[in-house]
Amino acid sequence: MMNFLLAVFSQTWRSITETWRSQLLSLITITLSVLIFTFFYLVYVNTLQLGNRLDNDLRLIVYLDEQPDQALQQEYRRKIEKFEVERITFVSKLEAYDRFKAQLKESDDVLKDVPKDFLPSSIEIYPRRSLHSLAQLKDFSDYLAKLPGVLKVQYGREWVERFYSFVQLLRVVVLLSGTLLILTTTFMIGHSIRLTVFSRKRELELLRLVGASNSYIRVPFFLEGALLGAFGSTAGLSALYLLFRWIQGNFAAQAAQSMFAFSFFSASTLLAIIVLSTLLCAGGSFVSIRKILSI
Amino acid sequence: MSNEEKRPTMIDLARVSKTFPPDTHALDDVSLRIRQGEMIFLTGQSGAGKTTLLRLLCAIDIPDKGYIEIAGQDLSRATDTELQNLRRRIGVAYQDFKLLPDKTVAQNIAYSMEVSYRSRQFIRSQTEKLLTELHLLDKMDAPAGCLSRGEQQRVAIARAAANEPELILADEPTGNLDAETTELVMQLFHRYNEQGATLLVATHDHSIYDYPGSKIIKIENGRLAIQKPVGTGRKAETRA
Repeated sequence: MMNFLLAVFSQTWRSITETWRSQLLSLITITLSVLIFTFFYLVYVNTLQLGNRLDNDLRLIVYLDEQPDQALQQEYRRKIEKFEVERITFVSKLEAYDRFKAQLKESDDVLKDVPKDFLPSSIEIYPRRSLHSLAQLKDFSDYLAKLPGVLKVQYGREWVERFYSFVQLLRVVVLLSGTLLILTTTFMIGHSIRLTVFSRKRELELLRLVGASNSYIRVPFFLEGALLGAFGSTAGLSALYLLFRWIQGNFAAQAAQSMFAFSFFSASTLLAIIVLSTLLCAGGSFVSIRKILSI
Repeated sequence: MSNEEKRPTMIDLARVSKTFPPDTHALDDVSLRIRQGEMIFLTGQSGAGKTTLLRLLCAIDIPDKGYIEIAGQDLSRATDTELQNLRRRIGVAYQDFKLLPDKTVAQNIAYSMEVSYRSRQFIRSQTEKLLTELHLLDKMDAPAGCLSRGEQQRVAIARAAANEPELILADEPTGNLDAETTELVMQLFHRYNEQGATLLVATHDHSIYDYPGSKIIKIENGRLAIQKPVGTGRKAETRA
């Protein structure tokens, strides 16, 4: 077994040193593919995180034409709780006035001549996470708008719709770049293996004549593919990290002020990307060598 | 039954024919049995079928008709793995050498041992031993493409013998050698034969026949013509 491994590793090393030009080309292509895919994936993941943060603050405000009495509040509560809601808060006209005044801070003197009941009473509804899809929110909002005594329902509909559209678009881009990664990787590995086989044609012929087993011929190509995948994805992720640090360094101040704090992949995600790229390249290489050499 | 006949069969050919398009009959109904430990010289004119016979024996070509068995393995029924295992037990010195010109002499020889997963020490010592024996030790790290034809021929022979095969097939192994180096090669073959290896040497060179215990098989127009013992005369059998 030890001798098998030594023989296979020495074959792999020999092959890499002899065909390093085509290997380098494949390595660069894999690096770029991984970089493109992981860039969009990172943006997607961060956008989802932003969505989660926004979701935590998501609430629907139902403005009422009259201040509801206890019985009506119970009735509203009963109807609203048919949906999955976390919390329902009734805000009276006076409470709304106080909140508004507190928000105005030093400028609250503008309210001096304004009656304290000029703001409508409202119901603040915090939906559960299971109700956060855009379609469900729309349905819920439509239902609330039809309740008696409701003037208007507000939840930043336009903004939420745009945000969800953006997330959908990102999802498509991530899927496309993922597909691109698989196609380029498979194509480049196949191409690289073909070049290697061509440049080592006489050697492979000799190996067969002296009785090399299929695994003796196949495993070095498989290892080459795996190494290309491992090094290519590591290089791609390193480039992405440098880009990430550059963005953080240059836009950190703005990012800190906004709610959009950019974060990098976790160690487990990084490992998963490297392992998947390695397996993808090794698999591509395995399929190519079986096809080209028919072994 | 003589002691020789008790020995197991190494090569068994029964009514083997091979035709190359359009209608060159390279081998025609050849039957032959060679026992383990025999040393056979296969002679005949150019185009008589010697190389075709060797190519069939190492399964590079397949016969149109007939049956070939090497070391008990029927070549027509052998799986890929069985064929690979068998090839590791056979050392072949090809007429065109099949050396890799950009590899060193040592690397070229090492191939036949690496595929059997021999240890590095074994490969190193075996390579040095064979190159010393064939007066090529100083060329060990030279690219094979930089050697003369005679030197390349000796490297091909060293590679054929390196993995200590049970059967050595050599196609014109002394064609590019002078008398002195021919003698070195024949001593090497003889040593392997004495250690138990079976040798089948296709040659034109009359000077190498004269080894006790070896025998000659002559091929003419794809058919076995004469079989005769040399020296003490072990016997190659042919079937009617």
